[in-house]
Amino acid sequence: MDFQMDHSFDEQQNRWNIILTGEIDIFNSLELKTRLTKLVEEKPADVFLQCKFLEYIDSTGLGALVGVLKNVKGSGFTIHMQDVKPNIQKLFKITNLDNEFILEEGDGNG
Amino acid sequence: MAMAKTGETIKLSFPVNPAYVSSARLTASSIANRMGFDIDEIEDIKTAVSEACTYIIRTMITDEKSNFEINFILLEGVMEIHMVTSGMPVPTPPDEMSLMMIKALVDDFKLSGGPEKNIEIFMIKKHISSFFE
Repeated sequence: MDFQMDHSFDEQQNRWNIILTGEIDIFNSLELKTRLTKLVEEKPADVFLQCKFLEYIDSTGLGALVGVLKNVKGSGFTIHMQDVKPNIQKLFKITNLDNEFILEEGDGNG
Repeated sequence: MAMAKTGETIKLSFPVNPAYVSSARLTASSIANRMGFDIDEIEDIKTAVSEACTYIIRTMITDEKSNFEINFILLEGVMEIHMVTSGMPVPTPPDEMSLMMIKALVDDFKLSGGPEKNIEIFMIKKHISSFFE
């Protein structure tokens, strides 16, 4: 299964709402990084990644997110990860990335 | 229904190509399921195998002659996973995030080889509840 990324910009809340679906690994993590980077460079803002349909992400996918986070933090914003499945939350803990990203329950905007 | 049996071995061979890491992941979870591992343990095995493939792919020079084998060795309440490459490794090994993840997810892990030598990865995952049955 491949991954899918749907995005929209919320003008009222001034943020990117992005829905990630499927599996991200070494096969497609560069594509994830390229697409997210394009969005945040086009319009710097907070990024809300809705992850309830994200089944899997590997170390290269997490690395891609860290790269995008650096970019986003550089413009004074941050990345929120919403409704992350327990198997993926475990990977954020193992790699200490749960301190870098904001992991939270979704607020219905995803 | 015939379950997986102790003593059985499943051997797979993959080209050094990111396109097939998902196949390795899928196979690993399917075998772990047939061995009676629980859902969390299956996730651990799936991730460990995926990261080991990723480590190998990032460590090997990608050409059509390079490949690696995954052997799943089924023991009593234990899955042993042995991976070995053939082909040339790149001069600089990749970053260690894959290894950090594998170490946290399996009960035993060994890595050997490197420049000029085949890379070998050895992992063991125990099925905890099998010790109480």
